[in-house]
Amino acid sequence: MAEVTGIYTASHTPVMLNFPDRIPPALRAEIFGAYEAMGRDFEAGRPDVLIVLSNDHLHNFFLNNFPALCIGVADSYESPIEHWLKAKRRTFAGDQALGAFLLQEALEAEFDPAFSMEMVLDHGSLTPLELAGLDPDLPIVPILFNCVQPPMPTMRRCHRFGRFLGQALRRYQGVERIAILATGGISHDIATPRMGMVNRDFDETLLALMEAGDHERTIDYATANVHTAGNGAEEIRMWMAAMGAAGDLPFRRTYYRAVNDWYTGIGIGRFTRHGDAHG
Amino acid sequence: MSNWRHMMPTTEAYLLDKVLYRLHHNAEDLAAYNADKDAYLARYALPPRLAAMIGGNDVAGLYEAGVNPYLLRAHCIGVRIPEDVSLAALRSLMKEGDDKWLK
Repeated sequence: MAEVTGIYTASHTPVMLNFPDRIPPALRAEIFGAYEAMGRDFEAGRPDVLIVLSNDHLHNFFLNNFPALCIGVADSYESPIEHWLKAKRRTFAGDQALGAFLLQEALEAEFDPAFSMEMVLDHGSLTPLELAGLDPDLPIVPILFNCVQPPMPTMRRCHRFGRFLGQALRRYQGVERIAILATGGISHDIATPRMGMVNRDFDETLLALMEAGDHERTIDYATANVHTAGNGAEEIRMWMAAMGAAGDLPFRRTYYRAVNDWYTGIGIGRFTRHGDAHG
Repeated sequence: MSNWRHMMPTTEAYLLDKVLYRLHHNAEDLAAYNADKDAYLARYALPPRLAAMIGGNDVAGLYEAGVNPYLLRAHCIGVRIPEDVSLAALRSLMKEGDDKWLK
């Protein structure tokens, strides 16, 4: 029976790597420091494997065949796939056995994920791991949700999948400790007239609802208001999944700032027991 | 405003998406495009109006046509449209009240 050592949520944006100088150095240092703190917190839990809940930004999947949900079952993942991303190439080890376990369990639980045995991960997975400074040899299982092209799975469905995921991981016997990183959001617009105008009110309300621990109200709020927070905010589907996986563990934000010049409401948080060092 | 131009892509948007997807996942395609845009775009049976949108870096037009925003963004960076130029083109489409919840 595996222990879930920590469940984290964190924004991702390629702008952090491509246009770091669009924000003042002190702010940049503050944000990068918040990601590093998340990384240290992760490592305190000594996970054997990391589940990465993220999304593909039309690189591995295109409109000729686009899965609502895809579980990675490869033994390694190269990254990044974007020719324009300013990041050094790296290869993540994949935990194929855990990926296969989750795939089978998901089907048994009447979810119908796609699976992939070869994906080249994009900035959505790479950026937060890179900024957190995680051990590059820590094996991962990427699980990618469609948040980038309607029609998309509902917020509620993502929460339900997360609940399944948390239960399945705790039943897994292949490793002792597993951490989860859900990455994406919060408010941001990509290539729309609103790009660069972060909806801070949406972000603050979402974070407050999550901190209050009311899953139903959080899901309802996300569903009803995501259209005010930008196409990039659709990525809070992964936050819904993290919330489902966390069950009754309380959520606390560890960082939030609306960064208009990086086009993104940058939020980081974790689900943890009170007073627990690493959740 | 909605987060999306269409809740299901139109065929026109799909055709534009296909060109942008290929350009930014195949180095040879991007090199051929950069060498001769018209010759490259002639490979696709695009209506001339759509080909002109891509070849002319018409960011606002591509947005309005419903191109997937992530492909549009990748294209802007990938063919080096200056950041402030692409932002200005998108902002030119801002309508009264679009930012009402941002005030």
